Amino acid sequence: MEAPRGLRILIVLPMYGGSLPVGWHCAAALARLGQVVEVFEAPAFSGAFTALRDLRVTSDRLEYLENSFLQTVSQAVAAKVETFGPDLVLAMAQAPLSRQVLKRFRRNGVATAMWFVEDYARFPYWLPFAPLYDLFAVIQKAPFVEKLAAIGQTNVLYLPLAADPAVHRPLALSPVDRRRYGAQVSFMGAGYPNRRRAFRELADVDLAIFGSDWEGDEVLAPRVRFDGRRMDTEETVKIFNATAVNINLHSSLSADEPVAPGDFVNPRTFELAMCGAFQLVDRRALLPELFTDDELAQFESLPELRERLDYFLAHPDERAAFAARARTRALADHTYVARMKTLLAFAAARLPGWPKAARDASGALAALPEALRGDVAALLTRLSLPADASFDDVIWAVRARQGTLSPLETSLLFLDEWRKQYGAA
Amino acid sequence: MKRMLVVQLARFGDVVQTRRLMATLVRDAGPAGEVHLVVDHSLTGLARRLYPAVAVHGLPVHRTPGPDAVAEARALFAQLTGVAFEAVYCLNFSPLAMAVAAMFPPEIQRGYRMHAGQPDKDAVLRLVFRLARDRRGGGINLADIWAHLADRPVAAATVNPPAVPGDGGVGVALAGREARRSLPPDILAPVVRTLFRTTGGREVRLFGTAEQAPAARALLRWLDPAVARACRDLTGKTDLPGLIDALTGLSVLVTPDTGAMHLAAALGVPVMAFFLSSAWCHETGPYGAGHRIWQAVTACAPCLESAPCPHSVACLRPFDDPGLCRLVAGSTKVSPPPGLAGFVTDGDALGAVCRLVAGDDPTLARRTAVRGLVAQRLGIALGTDIGSALAVEPALTAESDWMLPPPGRPAAGEW
Repeated sequence: MEAPRGLRILIVLPMYGGSLPVGWHCAAALARLGQVVEVFEAPAFSGAFTALRDLRVTSDRLEYLENSFLQTVSQAVAAKVETFGPDLVLAMAQAPLSRQVLKRFRRNGVATAMWFVEDYARFPYWLPFAPLYDLFAVIQKAPFVEKLAAIGQTNVLYLPLAADPAVHRPLALSPVDRRRYGAQVSFMGAGYPNRRRAFRELADVDLAIFGSDWEGDEVLAPRVRFDGRRMDTEETVKIFNATAVNINLHSSLSADEPVAPGDFVNPRTFELAMCGAFQLVDRRALLPELFTDDELAQFESLPELRERLDYFLAHPDERAAFAARARTRALADHTYVARMKTLLAFAAARLPGWPKAARDASGALAALPEALRGDVAALLTRLSLPADASFDDVIWAVRARQGTLSPLETSLLFLDEWRKQYGAA
Repeated sequence: MKRMLVVQLARFGDVVQTRRLMATLVRDAGPAGEVHLVVDHSLTGLARRLYPAVAVHGLPVHRTPGPDAVAEARALFAQLTGVAFEAVYCLNFSPLAMAVAAMFPPEIQRGYRMHAGQPDKDAVLRLVFRLARDRRGGGINLADIWAHLADRPVAAATVNPPAVPGDGGVGVALAGREARRSLPPDILAPVVRTLFRTTGGREVRLFGTAEQAPAARALLRWLDPAVARACRDLTGKTDLPGLIDALTGLSVLVTPDTGAMHLAAALGVPVMAFFLSSAWCHETGPYGAGHRIWQAVTACAPCLESAPCPHSVACLRPFDDPGLCRLVAGSTKVSPPPGLAGFVTDGDALGAVCRLVAGDDPTLARRTAVRGLVAQRLGIALGTDIGSALAVEPALTAESDWMLPPPGRPAAGEW
């Protein structure tokens, strides 16, 4: 069952963490699918949060203030929902949606979904929250799905991560960028204990490390680029493109096992593939159904990483062939557009009566005076709205625009206000 | 070369309870590295005995500092800032300790810290102390909380030797700093007499500071003449390093929650501890396997020592039961009175645990849930069914833990 276009979807971003960029990619993908997307930018509130942390008060007062702050942010999401009237609230993991607000959404018939792009075994927060969402999308299978069913969440969708071909793409880099972001072998990611241990053992490899949380390691310090700061998405794409062999080692808190067994597949796997960059990735239980062995070169131990690294450094043609096959597969199966299609179809199949009847099934153009239709058709394209977007959605999108409005946009707002005051024209 | 600094400005018992963290850091530093420890001046001798591989520094903390003390502290601070530490562990929620840590860059500070003039702490401390706000349901030993500030603490079982009785007789630690935590002499005397007989009727050594000498005399008055004659009153006669020698080889140490108890556990001397009032064995019980604790589990326990007791010290009543001596002697035919439970210390992948051996353990389910949750956050497999645990105690997860960025934003939550 495919979901209709023109749905109103509110994406609730977290204030921080790995699911934040995933949320942005979801928003872009849903817009491309012709949905009307609004994003709750939780990171915009981080200034207030930082101010609390700098307030110089006692720790009990700080804790009280932090909880109150969180409730306020959660209420802000609720206010947004009441104003925007979404068909679906899509929350990313760690989104600031309190239990109280989620219960209110359920009472009011607001459909909610969470994409829990976390390891369930490490973050137990799904336990109190999962039953409060109407849909729960996850990046792991058994036994997580069974555990969710046991606490009453049966609308569970396995939805692996993905990449955005408009962002994660092959780049023709300038020589300067190639020098700044390039290396024979790179790793881009946070300095988890298993990665520290693994990379210490690659002492004789010309390895460049990008990303944060690598402090306090004398052995690795000379390899860490950009002073160990966080790299933004655009820079990350440059790194992937400028590197001969990108190591992709999934994270673990335990240094005992540098290449630890695991199931879910991280976003970097899809992003590297989508960039057409060559990667050596550690084997994951859920990887074979996403990429074949001849699409991604894999390893399951440090010695094997070492051996495959030497091999692929000496065989650039094979690297290119792997990378091309991986990109083809990623483009075909692993885009955020595909994921969002799956999610909406799942919502349509599982949520009775969803989506509710369209606000204005006739579409914006049909509702307009003849003289405006041609110009509005062009405006819909500029606003990234589908041709059959409702009048209400056009008005919403116009109101959300920053800067000066055009005479046409102003006319539409005028028309909307006029209708509200005097009834349909 | 790794260099690490630990700031532990609390009391005698706390310095001993830092052993798991110290062992971890000494291991991490390796033979070429350096581990430094700052303690109160009065505890340097003890600390040097406990941590021979560590550079111990004294600060005048527990006394009013004069001009000399300020100059001395300043010289030490200058010395410490000259060392390129890789990590600085501040273990006390005290302005003094946090001031010492504040000499170092924020990114190397662990534990408690001042952030923009405001006390703050590592994410793991925030989690543990929020969970332990309900103390009855808190089940993490303080020594483990400190140890887990380091990335991979040494195994709990390797910290202290298991309890093995020597042939040196019975030791009695007369009181902790808090009098309400101690058994009065009329209840303590039969216990001492029982243990004196079950350990072969050798010597009884009474430990304490000079201030506890009256308590020693009171106990002697309650003891049988035969037992009293076997007593050696060492109150006020041993300094802390000397206490190590005096405890070594004892068959058992009878004690409330004291520094002497932690020291005995560090030496592998079997402890027979009595925990009541504000003392809770799951927080500060003796570290290491095989120690025995009799814990008051009345509904009001553990309480806040600084607040007056509105229940006429109801948690003491179960210790006044005639069956207590039989329990202490090891009888399994008698059950503890209501409000009293017997535990034996052990360990698991997270750290110390007290396992029930007699009576009822009304807070076991919540403690198990708390341990499971903390272990999961630390990436340690305890085998706890977190789902079932949280179904019982949903309040264990706080929205702020998940949704607000942790201080310092560690790698957790990043890909």
